[in-house]
Amino acid sequence: MTPVIDTTMMLLILSNMALLGLSRLRSCIAVASFQGMLLGLFTVFAHMQALTLRILLIAATSFILKGFVFPRLLRRSIREASTQNEMEPYVGYSMSVMAGMGMLGAALWLGSKLPLNPAAGMDFVVPTGLTTFFTGLFLIVARKNALTQCLGYIILENGIYAIGVISVVEIPALVELGILLDAFVAVLVMGVAIYHINREFDHIDTDQLDTLKG
Amino acid sequence: MHYEIVLWLALLVPFVIGLICTILPSVRIALGAMCCCVFGTCVAGLAVIWHVFQHGAVFTVSNWLFLDGLSAYHYLVMLLIYCLSSAYAWVYFGEELRQGHFTRRQARLFSGLWCESFAAMSLVLFSNNLGVMWVGLEATTLITAFLICIHVSRESMEAMWKYIVICSVGIAFAFMGTLLVAASARGIVSQDALLWTILRDNAARLDPKLMKAAFIFLLVGYGTKAGLAPMHSWLPDAHSKAPAPVSAIFSGFMLNAALYCIMRYIPITESATGGTGWALHLLTGFGLLSIVVAAVFILFQKDLKRLLAYHSVEHLGIIALGLGLGGLGTFAALFHTLNHSLCKSLSFFAAGRLGQMFGSYDMEKMAGSFRASPLWGAGIFGSILALIGIAPFALFMSELQLVKAAVDSSSMAALILFLVGSGVVFVGALQHAIPLAWGRPKGMLKPLRFTALEALIVVIPLALLLVLGMWMPESLSAALKNASGIVQSTLPAEVVVFSGYTP
Repeated sequence: MTPVIDTTMMLLILSNMALLGLSRLRSCIAVASFQGMLLGLFTVFAHMQALTLRILLIAATSFILKGFVFPRLLRRSIREASTQNEMEPYVGYSMSVMAGMGMLGAALWLGSKLPLNPAAGMDFVVPTGLTTFFTGLFLIVARKNALTQCLGYIILENGIYAIGVISVVEIPALVELGILLDAFVAVLVMGVAIYHINREFDHIDTDQLDTLKG
Repeated sequence: MHYEIVLWLALLVPFVIGLICTILPSVRIALGAMCCCVFGTCVAGLAVIWHVFQHGAVFTVSNWLFLDGLSAYHYLVMLLIYCLSSAYAWVYFGEELRQGHFTRRQARLFSGLWCESFAAMSLVLFSNNLGVMWVGLEATTLITAFLICIHVSRESMEAMWKYIVICSVGIAFAFMGTLLVAASARGIVSQDALLWTILRDNAARLDPKLMKAAFIFLLVGYGTKAGLAPMHSWLPDAHSKAPAPVSAIFSGFMLNAALYCIMRYIPITESATGGTGWALHLLTGFGLLSIVVAAVFILFQKDLKRLLAYHSVEHLGIIALGLGLGGLGTFAALFHTLNHSLCKSLSFFAAGRLGQMFGSYDMEKMAGSFRASPLWGAGIFGSILALIGIAPFALFMSELQLVKAAVDSSSMAALILFLVGSGVVFVGALQHAIPLAWGRPKGMLKPLRFTALEALIVVIPLALLLVLGMWMPESLSAALKNASGIVQSTLPAEVVVFSGYTP
């Protein structure tokens, strides 16, 4: 399975770079949706030799939630907020991709330091997961649009999920599903919050949410 | 009596009543159902807490849920704060209803979310499974987000967005930490890798490197929710823009719930890293930083609720410092948890009622609050005095124990920073509190009449703080020793004794 896993990880990294370089929100959501489906498949690939009903259930839930439900919620928010592009970001797109390269380097270094001892053929999963985690964090910090920040949270959660799939196999399905449900509710709540912010302010530019200081 | 069933009921009853509240026909019925739910659960909760204090932990659902000495103590604090805050919400929103600022839709939303947050915080405390504990704490973030903006305004929306984003990212960090803890137990614990009791029993065999990485993620993650500096930026906004009853449960218990999650990982990390005090040093650092940062910001505050919010950062820092010092410090930290929760909820209650009267939280405009309302003026002044550690309030005693712990452990740098920070807070808060209570009012004020319930809401916390400052009941002392024994592997070596005061 090594080539399949490695290819999946390469695609994940490329999707991260695309997220950092794209300005159109719909394109970003499409990439995040692709990443979600990829992670669902990866869950199955990673446990192909000992596939259980628990793994299949988690993989299917993840595939549907991250691949279809989250993007649908975000697209609805785009329609309601009538916004298409990221506003002037704090960090430009070219610089963001450069930062993405830096994050990949940092993730490779950190991954080598963490003794997670992944199974054979999974060596690249931890650095990829960490890169995805950092990418999500970067999108939250460096973008002004509330929708992109919400997207950043999903990407960040994707990174943790990828690491969790290979490093922890003992967590019961109920807990994992609870965690996925929490992520779902978080995205839902953020979507509702964006709707209210847009109604109150006529924009979703978080840079302008600056009344409360000190 | 089957205490396992009581645990179930304490989760399910608020959850179900929270759902029912969203369809109730009037404001008073919705608020009444909410109060009945909290007080009813409290009666059952006290029974199980008493049982745990007397006979030890209660387990249920294949050990996934439990109540031991540490969680029972926190549950006691939580019940106390929720009961006081629910009674206060009845008064506070009653006034808003009278003024026509509180609609049926808002009442349904508020009482529903209030009960759900009660259930979610109970889940955090009852979880032996660290994954479920994480789910519970994330649920509190998502549920309480809309409590901040019950009254929709630009400021409350801004505060809510910052709260959701910053706390969700923080909790995601904690999730990463939880996964790393489970990964560190790989090959050692074959199943139930996230059960706290199993991890604690096998802690010495966990991978120390992974546990260190995990604890950093957990401390930053849960520390964000606990309002520890420098991750505290959401806290002053959310506390100041939420309605006063919500600010009271935020500061009175939600922050403690996040710190409770960190407490659960202290013995595991310490055992895994060979008892070198590595985790404790980190906690001490975050605690001191929180005290110093809060001290600086307290000096320049104009808004009363923001001032109180920065006091929360300071006091959570003091609790973290106590945990970091260990020994008597842990005992003092847990005692301080109760004292701070009581005092802070009272101060937000008073701030809320005075704010309703003055129509502002600007301390200049609120000058002379004693004349406006002797009851709530005494409440705010008394609670600020208690917050800055004036004797004989209980916060003075817990801070004195903390000083003793710092001297015993020869942590002189920590002691100096703590004393300097507390000194600055003392001066800064008094400089605000004296004009707030005794200053010349800006306009003609008609003294506010108060009800017996309002008097009780002020007197009960103040009386408890005074009594606990002079005398500690044997049962509370034993409960605190038991809880601090769970946070550290041994009981505190010695407990400081002052004349007339035996903790």
